[in-house]
Amino acid sequence: MTDHDHDHDHERTVAPMVDEITDFEVLEIALRELCIEKGIFTAEEHRLMTEFAEQIGPTPAAHLVAKAWLDPEFKKLALAEPMTASKEVGVDWLHPTGWGTPSDFTAFQILADTPTVHNVIVCALCSCYPRPILGNSPEWYRTPNYRRRLVRWPRQVLAEFGLYLPDEITVHVQDSNQKHRFMVMPLQPEGTEDWTEEQLVEIITRDCLIGVALPKAGVTTNVITDTRPAIHPGAAG
Amino acid sequence: MSTAAERAAQLDLVARLKSAYPELPDAPYPDMLDHDRITAYLKPVHDVGGEPDAPMKYVNKQYELWEHMTYVICEVLGWRGIWLSEERRRIGNVDVGRAEYLGLPYYGRWLLAVARVLVEKHHIGLTELSERMAEVKERYAGGLDGKTLEAAPKSEGDGSQVKRNKHAEEADGKGDPQCYAGQAGNAKFKVGDPVVVRELPVIFYTRTPEYVRGAKGEIEAVAYESPAAEDETWDRPAKPEWFYVVRFNMADLFDGYTGTADDVISTEIPEHWLESAK
Repeated sequence: MTDHDHDHDHERTVAPMVDEITDFEVLEIALRELCIEKGIFTAEEHRLMTEFAEQIGPTPAAHLVAKAWLDPEFKKLALAEPMTASKEVGVDWLHPTGWGTPSDFTAFQILADTPTVHNVIVCALCSCYPRPILGNSPEWYRTPNYRRRLVRWPRQVLAEFGLYLPDEITVHVQDSNQKHRFMVMPLQPEGTEDWTEEQLVEIITRDCLIGVALPKAGVTTNVITDTRPAIHPGAAG
Repeated sequence: MSTAAERAAQLDLVARLKSAYPELPDAPYPDMLDHDRITAYLKPVHDVGGEPDAPMKYVNKQYELWEHMTYVICEVLGWRGIWLSEERRRIGNVDVGRAEYLGLPYYGRWLLAVARVLVEKHHIGLTELSERMAEVKERYAGGLDGKTLEAAPKSEGDGSQVKRNKHAEEADGKGDPQCYAGQAGNAKFKVGDPVVVRELPVIFYTRTPEYVRGAKGEIEAVAYESPAAEDETWDRPAKPEWFYVVRFNMADLFDGYTGTADDVISTEIPEHWLESAK
C-alpha cells in the first residue's frame, strides 16, 4: 500500500479491538469440520487440494509464451493444442483429480496477438480464468466494475492500465463465460530478439497474459501492484 | 445477549439495504410493473456485462485464510461428487440475490454456496450447522489471542453412504467438457455462419449474457459439446448440445460504442440460444 501506509485504517468497517474471528471464518471452520466428520471428504483430500492450490501461479504461462516466441514450431503447437503444449511447461490440465480442477474445466485456448489485433480476457459472469496455468485471478479481475466495463468500454479500461491502443489496432475482447478458458499470447517486444527464455519470462507478466498490458524490455512487474493486506492471511494468494 | 436498543439498531441497518427501484413500493401491485422491470428483477444477478459503472481503483488482495480454504472446499466438493461446478456457479453467483451478490465479498458468496448445497442436498442439517458455528465461535471467544484458525473435526467419517454424482468417474482421464463428446449429434452451425442470439425468457439461470441477446454475430469456432449451463446446474441428467464461440462487432452491439468500427467481442453460447440470421 504505497500511497496508504499510515497507521489508522479508515477503510475497514470492522476494526476490532480484540483479534476477533469473523463470521466467515466461523462458517468455514464449521463446514469443514462437519464435512470431514460425515465423510463428505477426508482431511487428506482437503490437504491434497490445498497443496495443489498453493503451487499454481503465472510462471508456467510465462514460460509457454517465451518458448513460443523462441520456437515457431512450439508456437504452432501452443495455438493448435494448448493443453498438450501446457505439459511442456509442467501443467497437466487433468490434474489433480484425473479430470482437471472442477472449477476450471479442460477447454483451454490461447489467443495470439497480431500486429493488428490485441486480445484481452474477462469473465463478465464470474471470474473464469485459466487457473491451472496462470494461478488465481487478481482481485480486480473479479470485480463487478472490471466485468461490467471491459465488455463495453474496453479501450477506456485498458487506458486505465496505461495501455493506449491506436485505432489501427483492433480490440478483441474475449468474454470467457462458459467452459473455455483463455489466455493471451502477446507479441514479442522489440529489443528482446537475442534474449534467452529466462530473460523473456521476466517481462511476460500476468497482466500481459490477461491482455491489460504489453510486455516491454525492462518492465517486470504487473501494472497493479497495490495489495490490500489480509487480517488473517492464508498461505497462498 | 443483545439489548433492545441493539436489536432495533440492527433492524434499522437492514431496513436501509435496498435492492429495488426506489420509485416502487415494496411488493408492488402487479399493474405497477412493466415487462422491462420484471425482466430486470428476474435477471440473474451475475450477468453484469455492459452495465454502466464509473472507473475505480483496481487493487490486488492478499487472501484471508478462510478465503483460500473456501476455494479449496469448493474444489474438493466438486472432486468428490457433491456438486458440479455449474451448481456452484449458480448457487453462489445468482441464487444469493442482488443484495448479497453486490454486498458480500467474493469468497463470502462461495462459502454460502457450500453451506447451501450441503443443506439443500441433506448432507448437513441447518440446526446442526448453526450449533457448530456457535461452538466454533465459543472456541475463539476471547479473540484469536495466540491461537491459530483451525478446523478440529471430532472424528473422520467413512463416507461410503454419502450420495455423490457420477461426474468424477465419467470425466476421469478425459476432462470436462470432453466427457460429453459425441453426445450432441451434428452441429447446426459452422464457422462463418451469421447467427442471431434468441431472446428466450430467462428465469433463475443462464450463462448467455443479456448484452448479446437479440444481437447478430458470426460463428468464430465450433467449441465443444456440453449441457447448457441452465440445464447442467440442477443435478439431473441433461442433454449435451454444441457450444459456439460467437463474435460480435462492438459498434453494432452497443449503441454509441466509443471504440473503432472494427473492435469485436467474442463469447460462448450454446446452440439452443442461436438461430440463423436471415
